[in-house]
Amino acid sequence: MTTTNAGLSRRRFLALGSAAAGGALAVGCSPASSTNTPAAAPGTGSAAKGTVTVMSQSGEFGPKEAKAAGQALGVTVKTVEYDLTKLTAMLASGNPPDVVRGMGALDTPYLVARQVAENLDPYFAKSTLIKADDIDPVNDLWRFDGEKQGSGPRYGFAKDYSQDCTIWFNSALFDQAKVTHPSATTPLLLDELLDEGKRLVKRQGAKVSVYGLNPNGLGLFTQLSWLTDLAGGKLTSDDLASVDFSSSEAQRALTWYLDYAKAGIGPTVLNPDPNGWDGPTFQAGRMAATLSGYWLGGLFAGDPKSAKVAGFAPAPQFDTGRRISPCFGATGLWIPKASKNKDAAWAVLEWFMAGDPAKARAAGGWGIPPLKSLQKLMPQKLPYQKQAYEVQMAEQQHFSVTSVTPYVRQDAINAVITRELPKAIKGSMSAGQFADTLNSQINAQLADGKKRLR
Amino acid sequence: MTRTYRWALSLVLLAVVLVMISPILWLVSSSLKSSADMASFPPTWWPSQPRFENYTEAITSVNFLGAAQNSLTIAFISTTLTTLSSAWVGFGFARLTAPGKKQLFVVLLATMMLPGIVTLVPTYLIFAKLHMVNTYWPWVAWGLGGSAFLIFLFRQFFAGIPREMEEAAIIDGCGYVGIFWRIFLPQSWPVIAASVILSFTHAWGDFVGPAMFLSQDSTTLAVAMATGYVNDKGLPMNNLVAAGAVMYVLPVLILFLFMQRRFVSGFSTSGIK
Repeated sequence: MTTTNAGLSRRRFLALGSAAAGGALAVGCSPASSTNTPAAAPGTGSAAKGTVTVMSQSGEFGPKEAKAAGQALGVTVKTVEYDLTKLTAMLASGNPPDVVRGMGALDTPYLVARQVAENLDPYFAKSTLIKADDIDPVNDLWRFDGEKQGSGPRYGFAKDYSQDCTIWFNSALFDQAKVTHPSATTPLLLDELLDEGKRLVKRQGAKVSVYGLNPNGLGLFTQLSWLTDLAGGKLTSDDLASVDFSSSEAQRALTWYLDYAKAGIGPTVLNPDPNGWDGPTFQAGRMAATLSGYWLGGLFAGDPKSAKVAGFAPAPQFDTGRRISPCFGATGLWIPKASKNKDAAWAVLEWFMAGDPAKARAAGGWGIPPLKSLQKLMPQKLPYQKQAYEVQMAEQQHFSVTSVTPYVRQDAINAVITRELPKAIKGSMSAGQFADTLNSQINAQLADGKKRLR
Repeated sequence: MTRTYRWALSLVLLAVVLVMISPILWLVSSSLKSSADMASFPPTWWPSQPRFENYTEAITSVNFLGAAQNSLTIAFISTTLTTLSSAWVGFGFARLTAPGKKQLFVVLLATMMLPGIVTLVPTYLIFAKLHMVNTYWPWVAWGLGGSAFLIFLFRQFFAGIPREMEEAAIIDGCGYVGIFWRIFLPQSWPVIAASVILSFTHAWGDFVGPAMFLSQDSTTLAVAMATGYVNDKGLPMNNLVAAGAVMYVLPVLILFLFMQRRFVSGFSTSGIK
């Protein structure tokens, strides 16, 4: 067998199969479209016609949004539910969706390294709705130059974002435990936060009735990377091909997390929150503090009880003086290189990111708009919204891009950490042994992923 | 059997019933809770203020009726074709002779060991090439292909029918098609019932197939519910999921209640117990 179809070589098909089996996305593309620079200048949104297939989640871009996009742009928009296996199959069949949901912070290097995503710079250059000086820096997470995230062409755009280590806290629970509310301007030290979590936790017998703290964020690897950064080190090497959990800074990060997990004051892989996410737990008055990011506040607007007690605080830091407030999502949309209707796909993307839907999202408070001009629309009517807005606006200056590896998906790295973590929490493995295990297993994954890309 | 023994047995059975039924009771209870009630601690069996509006929200927040209609259509196609084709093939394996029949039967049984997920992407590629994605034709194709387990079930049942009956029909001039339709199939209602229940339940509950092969406009209830009961951030609203799930299981429960006696005898008469 030499090729499976015109757009899929044998090598890439094999890569696809192994990636799909591992929950990874690895696909091929036609030789004609293997460069990152489009051969011809693309059209603008006004040239849009035909059918656009959007792969997203129902709550973000479903049939309702498809209908609105169709009416606004004069194109037919179809939606398919986001599913990694389906996306892999659609790309492999040579008939991918035209617009796809993705997390810029975690997906961009992976997609670009596999030459799956279209370089959108020519479209941004011609855009009438998105101006370069209006783009929030968080969108740099959708850029990758082949070596480093944050520079190079843009491959996607965030629909909204949060700085995911900022803190939502329940002031009533803080008052009950006689713990001072976190400052709106000065970040808490992580050791203080852990100590407060221990004072805030409530138990009934062996069970936790009120969680003192949840620092788990969107995934353990990104969280540990951030903690290592705060400690003054780096978890991932400069070439993004290896990790080092054994450095003193990474050990400090691991030790802090293990102290948290062993204290039993919040959800861990051993004792997950049955609700699956912090929203319902916070609403039930059972979450004192969580590193969840601005977006969680969107939930409280329709819940007066939570709105009354919710407070927002900057991301914590170690005593090293380093202050970093990262974004691990920047969830948005990208266009596959193999899309058959890129002009119309761009029109839909542009409309969704900067048109009426973007304004409605900004006012909803479920995230920070990706355009600076829309950020004034963020809700400020309720006291908690006003306080959160002020904290968030001050927090923006502490954002910076941390590159993720293009060689394996973050899910695969997190799976290793999640598998090994229980032993470290239970004490059958020291922090040093835990670090060695992670180094060995994750570096093997990275080496294998790098080999497949050659 | 002494009275004490009967009481003890009843108590044990009652305990087993409670254990078996408790997930369903919990589902119904969750379907009436608010989001905060869902997260309360300690958990409550019954909400202080039942939210019956969860059911109306579950119907209106996704295209519940449209998706249910799609599910029924797919389940009907799948159940009818799978049952018929499995019966045909089972008859062939039980009554006809051909070189390599035994080996072919072993190959057929071996396919049951192959997890469906392994063939998912290749299957998608085939159907995409045939322009059958976003249509119900894959379910027609799968239905016509039959089910290895149901073929086995029919084959076991047909193998137990006395050969004299078949020979008498042949002497009377009946061909094998007639023997299948007029003699074997009418006797196999217990297996047909088992096949209908199993095929319907599989098609009705299938998530992966519709998620892969259908768009959001034409998808089934299983997919619509799994992906539709979310907030603006795409995070699950578990009380609506529970309310939707209560309504979702009703057709299967009704089908089983009507056909349970034949379903059980279908297994007992096919040599599988």
